[in-house]
Amino acid sequence: MRRYFRTNALLLTILASVSGCGKRAETVKAHPLLRAYDTEADWSDAQHIIPLSYQQAQGKRIFYQQCVWCHADATPAGPSNRSNLTPAPPLLNDGATLNPESDEFMQNIITLGGSAMGKSAMMPPYGRMLAPDEIRSVIAFTRAIAQPPYQQPGRHGSQYSAK
Amino acid sequence: MPAEDMGKLTNRTRLIFAVSSVLFLAVLAISPFKDFRREWKQYKRSYLRFAQGRPDTKKLLADFRPDIDQIWLPGMNVVDRCTTCHQGITQTTLSDNAVPHPFRAHPPIPHNVRDWGCTVCHRGQGPATEVAEAHESTLAWEQPILPTRFLQASCGTCHYADMPQTPQLTRGRQILAELNCQGCHRLPGIDRPAMFGPDLTNIGTKVSRAWMYKWLKEPRTMVDKDGNVTVNGYETEEEPRMPKFRLTETELRALSAYLSVQKTKAFAPYKIDPRVVAAWSKNPELASQGELRFRQMFCSTCHSLAVTRAGETKLIGGDIGPELTKVGSKVNPDWLVAWLRDPQGYLPHTRMPRYGWSDEDLYKVTQYINTKLTDSDLLTGIPELGQPADQEIQLGHRLFLEKGCASCHVIEGLNPQKDFGPDLSALGAKNASELEFSKSNIPHNLVSYIQAKLQDPTSVNPAARMPQYNWNQSDLDAVTTALLSMKGAPATSALQNLVVPRKDVAFHPTGSFAEVYDRYKCSTCHKFNGYGGDLAPDLSYEGSRAQRQWIVDFLKNPQTLRPTLVLRMPQFNMSDKDAATLADYMAMVLQNTAANPAAVDAKQFTPAMAALGKQLYEVKYQCQSCHTIGGTGGYVGPNLNNAGGWLTPAWVEAWLKNPQSLIPDTIEPRRSFTEDEVKALTAYLMTLRQSIKPQKTAKLAPSEATAQGASR
Repeated sequence: MRRYFRTNALLLTILASVSGCGKRAETVKAHPLLRAYDTEADWSDAQHIIPLSYQQAQGKRIFYQQCVWCHADATPAGPSNRSNLTPAPPLLNDGATLNPESDEFMQNIITLGGSAMGKSAMMPPYGRMLAPDEIRSVIAFTRAIAQPPYQQPGRHGSQYSAK
Repeated sequence: MPAEDMGKLTNRTRLIFAVSSVLFLAVLAISPFKDFRREWKQYKRSYLRFAQGRPDTKKLLADFRPDIDQIWLPGMNVVDRCTTCHQGITQTTLSDNAVPHPFRAHPPIPHNVRDWGCTVCHRGQGPATEVAEAHESTLAWEQPILPTRFLQASCGTCHYADMPQTPQLTRGRQILAELNCQGCHRLPGIDRPAMFGPDLTNIGTKVSRAWMYKWLKEPRTMVDKDGNVTVNGYETEEEPRMPKFRLTETELRALSAYLSVQKTKAFAPYKIDPRVVAAWSKNPELASQGELRFRQMFCSTCHSLAVTRAGETKLIGGDIGPELTKVGSKVNPDWLVAWLRDPQGYLPHTRMPRYGWSDEDLYKVTQYINTKLTDSDLLTGIPELGQPADQEIQLGHRLFLEKGCASCHVIEGLNPQKDFGPDLSALGAKNASELEFSKSNIPHNLVSYIQAKLQDPTSVNPAARMPQYNWNQSDLDAVTTALLSMKGAPATSALQNLVVPRKDVAFHPTGSFAEVYDRYKCSTCHKFNGYGGDLAPDLSYEGSRAQRQWIVDFLKNPQTLRPTLVLRMPQFNMSDKDAATLADYMAMVLQNTAANPAAVDAKQFTPAMAALGKQLYEVKYQCQSCHTIGGTGGYVGPNLNNAGGWLTPAWVEAWLKNPQSLIPDTIEPRRSFTEDEVKALTAYLMTLRQSIKPQKTAKLAPSEATAQGASR
């Protein structure tokens, strides 16, 4: 009897110390979009909601203040200026046109304006108005909403893992 | 045989001893094993492996230590061990999205992680060293990490002033103010309007009991099965300010009875000149002429109407005043005449300006409203209400106080309950255990609670007095963000010092200007030194920008400078004297020192300079992409057809050099013009003149577009 008692006591101790490992806090499953800083509906498919990171969200904010007037077909004020311009500026989600351009080119054309980069002088320079980080965020937003989706050159993600 | 027995026993004891020793050792080994397997240690090791697999190993591991890392900021109550696992947070080379969490760098933000810690913004349990304890709710910790979607709430805990970087928070605060949440709740930092809901002291003189019954039952808002909100049957994206109260038949009868007897101050009826009535009443054009006048006066800048275009009906117009599609079936015609003549006489706090009506216009417009903006079916389905009985009136009086009507609507002589709804000034800091979830199935956390309560107050509290609002997802998230930002007074004095207070903006003009300014309610749409609406241009420096004569002409006959604007300055029928008062004040007081009209002499501009300027405008800088001159150009900036007759040269020069120094949020890009180019462009713009012609008949069909925000 005593033996059983001893064995049980031992087993209990083991169990008690092991059980601590399994302790889990009450998990609350958040909606996937709750994990995004902001979202943007896909311009060509309003049902498709694109999650935005912090940087992309900053770009979205600046885009809707400064760029939307010529680089979208609908603006917060209604009609767009895009149809007035020749050559017509690319829509911001126009992946076919913008995906091949490097981040560096995009940074330059926004900073220095169209004429400095051999494009239309109708694109004004924003280098004295927006900080380099702000321009970078606009590019990040552009990449996020691009259709067809933008593929980062030489991206090598899968070789890393967290654990 | 005791010896044998002994030996036997010894063997058994040995065996037991051996087994228990092994077990005991195993038990002892559990502790170091568990310690070795601790989550943060695993992350430490995997970071080490991760860094070694990268080209910049040396830099990544420069300050690597195998133990717990913490940011300790005693003044701010911060002990954050998050960087123990989130080891790459300050490594700029790890900002790529391909870098796995938790090693990815923090995106660039205005605050330095080492100076602020993590939990100040993200919340969660800073000293925890296990993933679940740090991020989630546990039995001992109920401030889980804030979902990224609502992160701007944390900006709002210190930044009481609105920031451009936090649009969602700003929007949430705006909604809280627009929907008059302050009427029932304590919400620090949310503006209290001069008037919450309309003053109901004389509501019995304005609308019928049947209309009130319908309004209380279904205040214009309907939500169909797909969640579309309609106002008066028309789709809209605006949430009407009056929410839906869940009232029973008895309550509806009682409240409508009580309100219908509120007639303490009878309005003075205005009798339109009988000659005008005689001349027009038989004219078949009466209603259409009234409609024309209604449009010409730009009532739609503040009021929307349902417009059917290509089979689709929607509300078009502003949302400053109520939607008017069926107002002819709502208000008493005599009241309407009296109201239009002097709105401020009926409601001292109204934002409706006082127009200088001629009897003819007044007659035409009121007849248009009474005959065309109607719906004969509006009050069908309302039961026969009859004369209000004393009993009903008394019950209605009690309900008016108990349901919280009195918290938003004034009735003279009636004192509302103090602090009607719960104090929400520290809602964002509440633990889930302090909240009432009742039988709802939602996850027990603060965010879910707030969203459930906002969407359907009875879902978490069947006895809730809070009325029903209808939100779209983005508004719901914005309001949730604003509420989460309210964490009460900062916990420590160091945090207290970090608070960025709201700027108290006010504009207190004096003298005759003040009287005219107040009568036309200029600040409803225009900003003056930071105070006022944002529908129309900021007038803080209008005296520097515009020539005095142009201001007078414009006030007498407002023209839009922007081709795409639909929401325009109303036609006030302003007297010469009023226009002169306003223009003189602007020219004298509303000045910016950087653009002093007296400092630049227009005579210095030669035709040669202007010719160069034209060249620069059209070829080098291609300003026509945004501005219109003549028939061509873009819609983004104002048209410059009359720039020479409108702007002062001093303003144009200062503007070209640095637009943001004059109007901080203008979207005109700041260029690097040379001094000569500035002069040449100014000279060219000053040659552009076009007389303002009296306004011709406005288009009958308002454009599809609304133009909020385009006024910059």
